[in-house]
Amino acid sequence: MSRGGARPYDVLMSALSDVEERTGNDLVCGERTPAPWESAVQATCECLSSAGTLDNLERRQAEDRLGETVYARFPVHTRSALTVAHSLMDREIFTEEELRAKMKEVRARLEAV
Amino acid sequence: MSTTHSHAPLKESPLTEFEVLELAVRELAIEKGLFSADDHRRFAEWAESRTYTVGSRMVARSWLDPAFKERLLRDGTETSKEVGVDWLQPTGQGTPSDYTYFYVLENTPKLHNVIVCTLCSCYPRPVLGMSPDWYRTPNYRRRMVRWPRQVLAEFGLHLPPDVEVRVHDSNQKSRFMVMPMRPEGTEGWSEDQLAAIVTRDCLIGVALPRADVTASQVPKQPKGRNGGNKR
Repeated sequence: MSRGGARPYDVLMSALSDVEERTGNDLVCGERTPAPWESAVQATCECLSSAGTLDNLERRQAEDRLGETVYARFPVHTRSALTVAHSLMDREIFTEEELRAKMKEVRARLEAV
Repeated sequence: MSTTHSHAPLKESPLTEFEVLELAVRELAIEKGLFSADDHRRFAEWAESRTYTVGSRMVARSWLDPAFKERLLRDGTETSKEVGVDWLQPTGQGTPSDYTYFYVLENTPKLHNVIVCTLCSCYPRPVLGMSPDWYRTPNYRRRMVRWPRQVLAEFGLHLPPDVEVRVHDSNQKSRFMVMPMRPEGTEGWSEDQLAAIVTRDCLIGVALPRADVTASQVPKQPKGRNGGNKR
């Protein structure tokens, strides 16, 4: 069911425990080096925009909106990842349950020794 | 087998939720047929291969073509398309601030422009590629807006007192690039020759182009104390 951006998805909120919660100071983001996954998210953004699924400008506006409301507790650099996932679930490309299951599968694969 | 040096064992940091989330979303999108893994790889490769040479080309063309220069100064975003850069389609710049207006700032004999991002590290990546490390440091960001001449001097750029220094603070919606003046000794040069001397730092505004310096050449060895490399 579409949430229209009004409420956070639990599967995304659970990622908050993994990052430092946003404070009034962390807009000063230049001290940190972007993680590789951030570049990968941007490539996903480009693919989605190119395919006509999620236009870049629309996604940018959603980042601003969601980043200041339902995901306001997250650091700024996580906005693209959260917004892409949120928007694709809103558009019913995949469900929250599918994402949760896929994350479990991915984690198991990456942690395999 | 012997080796002349040893490598420290690879220490693996814990997997983060965002690494997992990124790959999970990507794989679901691929499974749903929105794009392919190769599409994703190609966009990532494309974004990471952008360099400042696009900006160099813009400046070189402006020096040779007054009509292009006029268009570039009037509407940098639109005129970028003439050198193959569309700020929207695709952006591919790996930044969450990728929807912007692009402004080109012309240096004159009485005005020198320089760019900074005091808030974070906004940079015109479609035309300059990845920003240098120092551009992202708090030191540069904090001090350039307060003491620009002091900071420029640390880069070796000493401007006469009668030249106004104008610092442009990038933000989420505005990106800037400096158009330096064409240096002496470049009369009759081709666009390729001119583009070669417009280095990254010239486009940021912490250096000036010189006819005898290109980005690709190895810097000359300083002469040291006895050689008298005096300013």
